[in-house]
Amino acid sequence: MVAAPPLPVRALSCPHCGAAIEQRGFDHTRNVVCASCLSVLDATDPGLRVLRTFAQGLRVQPLIPLGTRGRVGGAPYEVIGFQQRSIAVDDERYAWREYLLFNPYRGFLYLTEYDGHWNLVRTVRGLPERRQERGRLTARWGGESYRLFQTSEASTDFVLGEFPWEVRLNDRVEVRDFIAPPRLLSAESTEDETTWSLGDYVTGAWVWEAFGLPGQPPSATGVFANQPSPYAAARAGLWRLFAVFVLALLAMAAVRFAPTPALVLRESRQLAPGAAEPYVTESFAVEGRRAALEVEIRSDVSNSWMFVSFALVNEATGRAVDFAREVSYYEGVEGGERWHEGSRDDRVRVPSVPAGRYYMRVAPELAPDAARPVSYVLTLRRDVPSGGFFFAAFLLLLVPPVWVTTRASAFESTRWMESDFAGPTGSAPRADDEEEDDS
Amino acid sequence: MRHLAYVVYGSALLALLAVAEYRGWSLLRTSETRNVPRSVRDNPGAYRSPYVGGGRYLGGK
Repeated sequence: MVAAPPLPVRALSCPHCGAAIEQRGFDHTRNVVCASCLSVLDATDPGLRVLRTFAQGLRVQPLIPLGTRGRVGGAPYEVIGFQQRSIAVDDERYAWREYLLFNPYRGFLYLTEYDGHWNLVRTVRGLPERRQERGRLTARWGGESYRLFQTSEASTDFVLGEFPWEVRLNDRVEVRDFIAPPRLLSAESTEDETTWSLGDYVTGAWVWEAFGLPGQPPSATGVFANQPSPYAAARAGLWRLFAVFVLALLAMAAVRFAPTPALVLRESRQLAPGAAEPYVTESFAVEGRRAALEVEIRSDVSNSWMFVSFALVNEATGRAVDFAREVSYYEGVEGGERWHEGSRDDRVRVPSVPAGRYYMRVAPELAPDAARPVSYVLTLRRDVPSGGFFFAAFLLLLVPPVWVTTRASAFESTRWMESDFAGPTGSAPRADDEEEDDS
Repeated sequence: MRHLAYVVYGSALLALLAVAEYRGWSLLRTSETRNVPRSVRDNPGAYRSPYVGGGRYLGGK
C-alpha cells in the first residue's frame, strides 16, 4: 500500500494581527479567517488583504481542530474551515456546525454536526427534480425520492479558517431539506442561485475514527432528520419471520387437530333440585403415553347452576386428582328483549394423565331452587389438543414484531416532530402546503 | 441481531408448545390425593373432596 502524499501547506501571517496562518486550500481558497483576530482576509491577494475585521461576539471551539487530517472514502482530507450556522424556529435558535474538508486532488467535502448527529456532505453536480408524489412535495435525485422535511432561513454566526467562497457573517439563505434516510438533500437558495448538496448520515464514532480524534464523540440527542431508523429494517424482517412461525404453528395445529381424540367414557345422568349424591363411574382404561384427559359436561341447566367436584382415581396406585367445575345458565326476557348468560356446557383438560385403569368419583350438586331436574352427559376423551395453547403461542409470537413496529412508528413520529410538518407517523407535507419555486 | 433473537425466541416458543401438547400440560388447578381407599367405589359419599359446592348466583341482567 502506497502512503498518501502529505498535503501541502502555505505559511502566511495575518496582516491585521500578525498571527501565523496556514493556507491549505491554495487556489481554491477565496477567504481566510484568522484564528487569532477573526479578520476575514482575501486569499486571492498575495499580501492577504484584510477584507473585514469582525468583532465576532461569538467564539465557537470546533470539535475537530483546523488542520486535523483524516481519511474519508480511502482518501486523506484535512479540516481547513469551520463555521457555525443557525436557524430560528418559534423565536428559538438552533445552531449546527460545519467543517470544510479539503483534498487537493478530490476537492471539498463538508462534515456537519448537530446535537451529536453528523452528516458527510458533498455538493450535487446537477439539478434535482422537484415534483409531487402522491400529493406530496418531493425532490428526485439519483433515482431516489426525497420528502421535504423543513424550510428555514439560515444565517452564519461564526467562521474560522479557509473557504472557497466569500465569507460574510450573518449572511442569510433559504434552506430546504429533503430526506430519504440515511440521506439528506439540501437546497440553499439566495436571490441569485440555488446550491444543492447531498448528505449521508454518519455516526460520531465514525467521525472520531476517521480523524483519529481523542476521547469519545458527544452522544447524539433526539432523532435527526435523516437518521436511519434502527427499527425500520428489523421490522420487515421480523414480520417475515412471524409469517414463517405462523405457518409452522398452523402445521402443528393441523397435525394435532386432525385426528379425532379417543373416546374413553360417556355417561348420561339426571340430577334433581337440591340433590347432592356422589357416585363413581365404571372403571375405564386410559391408554398410550402420558397425556391430557378432557372431561366435558353438557347439561340442560336453565336459570340455575350445577356444581360438580371430580376425583379421577387410579385403581392401581390409589392416587386421585381432584378438581371441580360449575356450569350455570340464566336466560329471560326483559323489555321485550331476550337475554342469556353463562353456559350449559364446560370442558377441562386434566393434565398429564399416565396410562392405567381409572374410575371417577363424581359429586354433582344442583341448586336447591332449580325449577326442574337437570340432565347432563359426562364425556372423557384422551389426548385432546389445547386451542388455548395455540392461541397463546400465536399472541406471544406477535409480541416482538408488534413491539418493533410500535418503536419504528414512534421513531418516525419523533423524527417528523422536528419538521415543519409535525404529525403522526411522519405525515410529509402536501404539495399544496408548500409553494413550488422554479429554482 | 434482533432477527436471530426472534428466531431463537419463536423456535423456543414452538418447541415449548410441542412439549406441552405432547405431555398434555394444562392450566387446570388440581389437587392430588394419595391412597384413596378402595371402599370409595362402594361408598362414594365417604370420599372427602377438597372442592365443596358452589351455588353462587351468576345470572340476571
